[in-house]
Amino acid sequence: MTGARNAAAPAVEFHDVTVAYGRRPVLWNIDLTIEAPGLFGILGPNGAGKSTLLKAALGLVPLAGGRVTLFGRPLAEVRRRIGYVPQRETVDWDFPVNVMDVVLMGTYARLGWFRRPGAAERDRARAALERVGLADLAGRQIGRLSGGQQQRVFLARALAQDADLYFLDEPMAGVDARSQERIFRVLDDLRREGRLVVVVHHDLRSAVDWFDGAALVDMRLVAAGPAAAVLTQENLRRTYAGHIDVLDELGRAVERGGRTA
Amino acid sequence: MTAFTGIPYNTLVVAAAVAVVGCAAGVVGCFGVLRRRALAGDAASHATLAGVVAAFLVTGRRDLPTLLLGAFVAAVASLGCLVAIRRFTRTRDDAATAIVLSVSFGIGIVLLSGLSARGIPGAGGLEQFLLGHTAALTVADAITLAIVSLAVVLVVCLGLKEATLVSFDPAFAAATGWPVLLIDYALVALVAAMVVVGLPAAGAVLVTALVVIPPVAARQWTDRVPTMLVLAGTLGCAAAVGGVAASALVPRLATGPTIVLVAALLFAVSFFVAPERGWFARRLRHER
Repeated sequence: MTGARNAAAPAVEFHDVTVAYGRRPVLWNIDLTIEAPGLFGILGPNGAGKSTLLKAALGLVPLAGGRVTLFGRPLAEVRRRIGYVPQRETVDWDFPVNVMDVVLMGTYARLGWFRRPGAAERDRARAALERVGLADLAGRQIGRLSGGQQQRVFLARALAQDADLYFLDEPMAGVDARSQERIFRVLDDLRREGRLVVVVHHDLRSAVDWFDGAALVDMRLVAAGPAAAVLTQENLRRTYAGHIDVLDELGRAVERGGRTA
Repeated sequence: MTAFTGIPYNTLVVAAAVAVVGCAAGVVGCFGVLRRRALAGDAASHATLAGVVAAFLVTGRRDLPTLLLGAFVAAVASLGCLVAIRRFTRTRDDAATAIVLSVSFGIGIVLLSGLSARGIPGAGGLEQFLLGHTAALTVADAITLAIVSLAVVLVVCLGLKEATLVSFDPAFAAATGWPVLLIDYALVALVAAMVVVGLPAAGAVLVTALVVIPPVAARQWTDRVPTMLVLAGTLGCAAAVGGVAASALVPRLATGPTIVLVAALLFAVSFFVAPERGWFARRLRHER
C-alpha cells in the first residue's frame, strides 16, 4: 500500500542535500524533515543559503549531492501540490500585465498547454485576491502597486495554485507593516487548513511571533524543530556569530517570547 | 480605385506581402523585447548575410527559399554561439553579443566581397540582402514570405499564455513544471525566423529594427500583452508599407533604411504623446 505510506510521509524531507554554485558550495549536508501542517521559518544570516534551500526543494538548482522528497515522492510527481512565491525582485514589475493576469498564472499549470483560463480560473483568482485584500485592484498594472501590494499579488498567485505545500522566498522583504500582518494572517490560515507553509525569513522578532517550526541555516543546518526550542540565545549565537547587533535585538525578542499578535 | 491605377500588379502583391511580414515581425518581436533579448536578435540578423552567401556557394542556387534557409541556419548558429560563450566562458552578455554580431557579420562581408572579386556567375544581387530591396522580389517569393509570417503569428497566438508566463517570471514557470528552456528557445527561434523572413525587405543590417522598434513603441500605449501584440503588429505593418512605398517611388532607394526611419518616426510619436507613459503625460503629472 504505497498510498497509505505516502499519506503518512513527511511533507518535506531533505536527505543529505549539498548544493554548489560552480565550485563554491553554498549548502552542506542538509538533513531536514518538515511535517504538515505548519508555518515553518527558515532563518539565517545573509548568504547563508536560505533561498538556495527553497530552490533545491523546487528543483530550481541542481543538487551536488543528496535528494529531496515531498510527500514521500520526487518533486515531478507532486508538482501540482506545490505552491511557490519567488523573491519580489526577480521579476520586472514594469511588465505589461495587470494584477488579475499575474494571479491567473497560478492556474496555468493545471490548465496545461495552450488552454486559456476560463470562468472557473477567474473565480479562483478573484477569490485569491479577496483573501489578500486586493480585489479592488484587479485591473491595475503591477508596476503601480506598493511593495507590500506586489508581494500580496505574488501570494494571491500562489493561493490560486491551491497547493498543499507552499514555499515562500522572503515574502516580507520591503513590505510595510500592514501588508506584513495581512500576509502572516493568510499564511496562518493556510496552516489551520492543514497545509504546510515554508517561509524564508530574515526578521527574527516576527519569527518568534508567527512560526511554529523553524530551522536555522548557515551553510549547514544549525538547528531545526519547534520554533521555541530552535530560536534560543545559544542557537542564534552559533548561527549569527559575528553579527553582534543582531544578537542583542534577538535576545530581547526571544526573552519576550511567545506570540504577541 | 484610381489611386492604384498605374501601379503594377507585381508591386502591389509585394507591398501587401511586406506589410504582412512587418506585422508579424512586430508581433513576434514583443517577446524578444519583453524577454530582454533584443540584442540577441541583432546578432542573429547580422549573421544571416553569411548564411545567404554560404547557401549560394554550397548549393549554387539563388532562389529565395534556399538563400533564406541558409540565413536561418546562420541565425540559429549565431544564437547557439551566444549561448555557448555565455555558458563556457566568463564573458559578459553584452560583450558576447558584440563578438558574435561583429564576427558573423565580418564572415558575411568577406564571403560576399570574395564572390564579387572572383566574378562568380550569378552572385550579383546578393548584396541586396545587406540593406534590403523589395523591388527584386517576385510574386511567388512575396507570397511565401507572407505565408511563413502568418504561420509564425499563429504559433505566437497559440502559445500566448506560455510565452507571457515564461517572459514575466521564468522561476515561477519552472517551479510549476513548465519547460522554460524549451519555451525560451522556441521564442528565440520564432524571432530568428522573423528576422530571416524580414531580410529581403529590411536587409541584414537593419532587420532587427522590425522586431524591436514596433514592440517598444507599442509598449508606450498599453499595459497588457495582447494589446501590445496588436499594436506592435499594426506599427510594424505601417513601417513596412511606408518603406516599400518610399523605395518604390524613389529609384535606387534601399527599402531597409526607409522602413527603419518610418519605424523610428512612429516610435518618436509614441514616446512623446502616449498617454500615461508618454513624455508629455509624465511631464504634466510631474508638474501637478
